[in-house]
Amino acid sequence: MSMQPSVQPMTVPLVDDEPPVSLWRDAWHRLLRNRLAVAGLVIVVLLAFVAVFGPWLTPYDFLSQDLNARNQLPSLAHLFGTDDLGRDVLSRVIYGTRTAFVVAVVVTAVAVVIGVTLGAMAGFFGGWFDRIVMWLTDMTMSVPNLLLVVVINASLKGPAMAWMEARYLETLNPFYRETVWVDFLLVFGSMALISWPPYARLVRAQVLSIRGRPYVTAARALGLTNRLILTRYVVPNALGPLIVSVSAGLGTAMVLESAFSFLGVGVNPPTPSWGNMISDGLRVWQHYPHLLAAPAAVLGLATAAFSFLGDGLNDALNPKGSK
Amino acid sequence: MTAPAQDKPLLDVRGLTIEIDSRRGPAIIVDGIDLTVAKGETLGVVGESGCGKSLTMLSLVRLLPNKIRVKSGTADFAGRDLLKMSKAELREVRGGKVGFVFQDPMTSLNPVMRIGDQLAEPLIYHRNLSKAEAKDKAIELLRLVGIPAPEKRIGAYPHELSGGMRQRVMIAIGLACDPELLIADEPTTALDVTIQAQIVDLVRELRAKLGMSVVWITHDLALIAGLADRVAVLYAGTVVEDAPVDELFARPGHPYTRGLLASIPKLTDERTARLASIGGTPPEPGRRPAGCPFAPRCTLSEAICHERVPALEPLGTPTHRVACWVAQRQIREAA
Repeated sequence: MSMQPSVQPMTVPLVDDEPPVSLWRDAWHRLLRNRLAVAGLVIVVLLAFVAVFGPWLTPYDFLSQDLNARNQLPSLAHLFGTDDLGRDVLSRVIYGTRTAFVVAVVVTAVAVVIGVTLGAMAGFFGGWFDRIVMWLTDMTMSVPNLLLVVVINASLKGPAMAWMEARYLETLNPFYRETVWVDFLLVFGSMALISWPPYARLVRAQVLSIRGRPYVTAARALGLTNRLILTRYVVPNALGPLIVSVSAGLGTAMVLESAFSFLGVGVNPPTPSWGNMISDGLRVWQHYPHLLAAPAAVLGLATAAFSFLGDGLNDALNPKGSK
Repeated sequence: MTAPAQDKPLLDVRGLTIEIDSRRGPAIIVDGIDLTVAKGETLGVVGESGCGKSLTMLSLVRLLPNKIRVKSGTADFAGRDLLKMSKAELREVRGGKVGFVFQDPMTSLNPVMRIGDQLAEPLIYHRNLSKAEAKDKAIELLRLVGIPAPEKRIGAYPHELSGGMRQRVMIAIGLACDPELLIADEPTTALDVTIQAQIVDLVRELRAKLGMSVVWITHDLALIAGLADRVAVLYAGTVVEDAPVDELFARPGHPYTRGLLASIPKLTDERTARLASIGGTPPEPGRRPAGCPFAPRCTLSEAICHERVPALEPLGTPTHRVACWVAQRQIREAA
C-alpha cells in the first residue's frame, strides 16, 4: 500500500496545539478544586508518611516502660501522656499508625487483586464461571464478618502458635519466636477473605456494562485476544469507580483492624494498634481520658480523611453524576 | 466506475440465516441472504433500521451479540468459510484481512487510550511490528486518512477529536493491516452532512488507491449512489433486489426499492407536496408473513405474494436480480 499524503486533508482547523490531556489528568484537576478532598488527601499522605518513617519519628521506644512516670497527662515530655505502664502514648499511636496502614494496604491490595480478577473475568466471560464467582461472593458476604474472623482466630491461632513453637525448638531459629507475624498473617488473611466480594461485584457490574460498548466490539473486530481486550479496553475503563471504592476501602480496613484488635481477635499487645489502645484506654477513661482520646481521635481523623478523599475522587472521576 | 472483472468473488455469502432467542422462542431475523462482493468492488447494502444489515455483517466475523446466532448458511471469504473457522483463524481475519468501521465514532474508540496506541494495536498484534515501527505506521495511516499534524495527533485521546476526525481514525484503524475487505457499518450516520461527504470521498479515494473491496452499509440511498458499484436492498432480513448501482436507480424492480427512491426528497418538488412514504411497518421477527415479507405493505401485492416467498431472480439482465412475483411477471409479459 502506497502511502503518500495525498487524500484531501481535513478542512477543519485544529482547535489547539496544547499537549493532550488525559482523562486522568482532568480528574486530578477536578480533585484539586475540592477543598475537603484536598484536606483528606493531605491527612492521608501525612499519616502514610508517619507510618513509613515511624521508627525515626517516635520520641521514645513504644515498648520501653518508665514505671516512675505512669498514667501521666499530656506534657511537653510526653505530648500524649503515658499509659499505665509508663509507655509514651504518642510513640504507641505512631506505631499504631504503622499497624493500621500495613494492615489496610496489604488487605486492600490482596482484596483488590482477588476481587478485580474474579469480577472482571466473571463479567467478561459470563456463563458458568460468572455463576460460580457470584455464588462465592454471595456466600462470603452472607457470613457475619466478626463471626468469621473470630472463628478463624479460634481455629487457626492455636495450631499456628504451636507449629511456630515446635519449629523453634527444632531449629532454634529466632525467626520462629516472632509470633507477632502469626497475628498479622491471621489478620491479613481473615480480613482479605471478607473484603474482596464488594470489589468483585463492583468490577463485575462495571465490566457487564462496558463489554457491550462499541469500542469493545470494535476491539474484537480487530481480532485482539480476550486477554488484551480485558486488560487494555475493559479494566482501564472500569477503574474510576474502583479507585473511589479502594479509597473508601482503605478507611474501612483501618476501622476493621481497630475493631478486631479492640475485641482481641486482631493485633495483640504489646504490638500497638489503635484498636487495642482504645480497648485498654476504655477501662480507665474516667481517670485518664487521654489514653482513650489519643488513639480514638487519630482513628477518627484517618477514617474521615479517607472518606473525604473517596468522596472527592468520586466527584472527580464521575463529573456527570455529582452535584 | 466500472464493474471489476467477474471471476471468483472475494466474499460469497449463501443462504445466511440468523435467529434470535425471543420470549416466544427462536425467531428468524435474517432469512437466507445471498451476497457476493468481487475483488475491488464496492457493495452498498441498503435497508431500514432493523432489517438485519448490521447483523449480517457482524455475523461474518462472528461478533453477533448474545442470544443471536447463525442458524445456517455459508460465507466463503477468499476460499474459506468464515462461519466454520477456528477462533485462531478468525482472529487473523478480524482486523487483518477484514477491516471494520463502525457506526458511532463517538463510542467506538477506547476513551482511555491514545489514538496512536489504538492504531498501533492491530499492527503489533497482526503484523508483529515493534512499538517504534507501529508508531511510524500509525502516523502514516493518520496522514493517509487526511488528519493534519499526525505526529502530534497520535498522542491525543479520542475526546479531544471532533466526530469527523474520530471517524477518520476509525477508518485508519480499519485499514491498518491492508485488509482485502473493508466493512463500513453506517460510518457516516452520526456525522453531519459536510463531514459525511468528506468521509465518503475519503473511502472512495482510498479504495481506488489500495484496491480493496468495500461493503458499505447504510440506510441512505442517495449516499450510496455516488459510492457503490452494486447495491443490495435488504428488507426484513432478505435481499429483495441486487443490481448495479446505475441500473438500480434507472430501473428499480422491487416495489420496496421504488418506494425508497420515491421517498428521497428532491429540490424540484413542489414546496407544498408531501414527502412520499411507504405505509405500514416492517414485520416483527417471529411474525413474518408466509409469503413475500413486503406483501402486507405493498400496493401491488397479489394473491400469490401472500402465499409464497419469491426467489431472487434475474430481471431483464443477469446482474439485476429481484425477488418479486409482480415484477417478474410483468417482465415475462413484456417479453
